[in-house]
Amino acid sequence: MSNANQRFLMGVFEREEDVLAATNEARLRGLEIADVYTPYAIHGLDAAMGLRPSRLPWVCFALGLAGASFKVWFEFWTSASDWAINVGGKPWNSLPAFVPVTFEVMVLFAAVSTVAAFLVGRGLLPGKRPKLASPGVTDNQFALVIEETNAAFDIDEVSEMLREFGVTHIEERVD
Amino acid sequence: MTPQHEALNPSTRTYAVFKWLSVAGAAVFGLGLMIAPQRALSSLLLVSVGLLGMGLGAALFIAFQYVCGAHWAVAIRRVPEAMCGIIPWAAIGILFTLIVGKSLYPWTANHPTGMKGIILNYPLVLIRAVVFLSVWLVLIRAIVRKSRLQDTTGDASLSVSNTRLSAMFLVAFGLTFWMASFDWVMSLEPEWYSTMYGVYHFAGLFLGALAAMTILAVWLQKTGPLRDVLTAEHLHDMGKMLFGFSTFWMYIWFSEYMLIWYADFPEETGHFIRRHTAGWGPLFIANMVVTWLLPFFILLPKRVKRDPSMLVKVSAMILFGRWLDLYLLIYPASVGHESVTFGVIELGMAVAAPGLFMLVFIRSFRASAPVPLADPLLEASLNHHQ
Repeated sequence: MSNANQRFLMGVFEREEDVLAATNEARLRGLEIADVYTPYAIHGLDAAMGLRPSRLPWVCFALGLAGASFKVWFEFWTSASDWAINVGGKPWNSLPAFVPVTFEVMVLFAAVSTVAAFLVGRGLLPGKRPKLASPGVTDNQFALVIEETNAAFDIDEVSEMLREFGVTHIEERVD
Repeated sequence: MTPQHEALNPSTRTYAVFKWLSVAGAAVFGLGLMIAPQRALSSLLLVSVGLLGMGLGAALFIAFQYVCGAHWAVAIRRVPEAMCGIIPWAAIGILFTLIVGKSLYPWTANHPTGMKGIILNYPLVLIRAVVFLSVWLVLIRAIVRKSRLQDTTGDASLSVSNTRLSAMFLVAFGLTFWMASFDWVMSLEPEWYSTMYGVYHFAGLFLGALAAMTILAVWLQKTGPLRDVLTAEHLHDMGKMLFGFSTFWMYIWFSEYMLIWYADFPEETGHFIRRHTAGWGPLFIANMVVTWLLPFFILLPKRVKRDPSMLVKVSAMILFGRWLDLYLLIYPASVGHESVTFGVIELGMAVAAPGLFMLVFIRSFRASAPVPLADPLLEASLNHHQ
């Protein structure tokens, strides 16, 4: 919702199946779906909205790999190079002993960076003011928000479509 | 929505291939028993443990689904149900090995003392084998029978009683399987022991069963019975399971290896030294590469997990890894670690096992409808979404 004075049409639904079907129909009619707000993740909604696959897995993969590589190097450097310690007569660069810590650090880097990338990517930073499409979307309601792209946008027609899927409340918003 | 199902009618040529593989395997085994009994019996143990793993892994899959109340795999449940049909055959192979192949187990001639002597006592091992195999068989047959009965009666309470049976089977399996793996495979090297061994065998058998299930489900979709039933959504979940349990297998492998490597006790390290010296080294590494390293990186992208032909290739690689894993567990102990022994006997029986498995599977799959028609969760499973 970046454009100033952009108009939106919001339909609020009571049932998961309804919002899923309405979203699918909106996409098929070529409407611009601004977003869908739901209290929990709905299976199949990303496909219904026509979303691109998330890029977060790449962050996860790259940072996991980076964390693992860094940790192998670090363990090698500490126990075999900078301050070599003889542990039970094992070779200094004992790879099997490095594996558990490498694994843990890989998971730590991958997990923390994925969450951080999500928060930064969505702008969910400290000081962010909450902005709810409808108060019910954190509780028991589902809101489908459609962008009114141009003057040809027919509110009556779209409202009629939303009613077919059992919409309980329709509202026009300006952002 | 209940799609029209075609029956499984493999071409007579396909059927003949499986039949001839089985016959050839039996012939190789018979000749092997006369020429090199140690190798023939070791191979029999290998394929029996492998085939038993397919059946038990499939039964575990069914039991997990019932106990969790999961719906996603209900539509393809007839695949693991038919896989369970191999268990009696594998049981015969294991009992045959224990009785005729008594000489494979050094402790039968050189009786250990103390606690080990109480556990590794020949009559007791035989009794345990019969008890374990019977308990598994009785529970699994009951689950499969009730699932098939539901098709005709439509009685939803059969799902409830199958959930109860599944819970019983999971507990029974957990209490017995580790001991079975000790008795039948670990005791080939009675001086060596590892408390991780049972978990390791479980990891391998479940991974192998998942791989076989994936291949069979895709095959049944291509040939008819599961057309319009098996979707990319189901495959995606199978792919995730394969990915997860491949990694679980490696995790357990390493958990066993690292503790033994770290402690460095001579009686413990021998097990691994025998498996990566004298020509075994490349196989030792290959086992990890085909069972985990390659599947891990190949299965990472979502696209691959939804692609039937890629999943079948990865599954086939994992099944090869499964054979290699059992070969590495059994052969260095029972045939000799001084050199790698591989010839007509090993190859013949390794390719005969899938032949026999497929004959039993096809017969078992045809004995019921290709999907559990009256399962209350079928509808949700057919419309499964990620």
